[in-house]
Amino acid sequence: MNFEQFQNQSRLYVIGALEAEELEEFEEARKKFGKKAEDFISKCYALHEAFALSLRPAKSSDAIKERLMAMVKAKKQS
Amino acid sequence: MAQSRVGTRTIAPPLEPGAPSDFELMKGIQAGDADALSQLYDRYNGILKALILRVIHNEAEADDLLQEIFMEIWNQAKNFSEQKGKPLGWMVTLARRRAIDGLRKKQAYARAEERLQNETEQQPDAWVHNATEEEIVLGDTRVLIRKVISSLPPAQQQAIDLAFFRGMSQREIAAKTNTPLGTVKTRLELGLKKYMTASRT
Repeated sequence: MNFEQFQNQSRLYVIGALEAEELEEFEEARKKFGKKAEDFISKCYALHEAFALSLRPAKSSDAIKERLMAMVKAKKQS
Repeated sequence: MAQSRVGTRTIAPPLEPGAPSDFELMKGIQAGDADALSQLYDRYNGILKALILRVIHNEAEADDLLQEIFMEIWNQAKNFSEQKGKPLGWMVTLARRRAIDGLRKKQAYARAEERLQNETEQQPDAWVHNATEEEIVLGDTRVLIRKVISSLPPAQQQAIDLAFFRGMSQREIAAKTNTPLGTVKTRLELGLKKYMTASRT
């Protein structure tokens, strides 16, 4: 696998779209390309953030936050 | 809202003067500061809820999951590392994984599938469908991201949508869209590549 092919696979990898049989070859290439590979994969993870930011924020009830903070408080006290 | 990135390009929705950065809030959470979690919740609950809703299509379940995810953020904050990326990216990855896991585990999967089917038939591309309305009410970041997404051919958008928001494998997408597996792979590869390239220009 050359680096361009690895880049294509990396984009699929970060969104979980690599098929099982592609993963082994991907991991081998990941080791082969080392830091260059890790740096590119990190860049690809920005896709997650961007796709989430493409959505219109949804409202949640105030009760959710109240319950959350009560749970956090209880956990801190335990 | 904190800084955001599209691909490798940084977009910076302004933080209010004096407001702590996301990294500072994460450090606070790591130190056990509940107020830092409260602020992070206020900043991002809307985005994470929208992401969860997009996956599971159920308001009540999305609220429950949102609460669980922020509890997980509190519990797992020690595993967050600045070197690995930004807090929002970490939270989105966590939320997406939990939402997709939840979807697959619950019987709601079948119901959501049916709803998605209906939505797909009614509006083959939700990203494109909402673009005009969104441009009126959303900030620059969202508009820019949508602009890049809507520049992709609809088939590529659909493939990315099913993979990212539904957690579908290439085979599942091929079966759902009645498209050859190789075509699905090409659509995903081209779409994601174009997206990342466009967002850098």
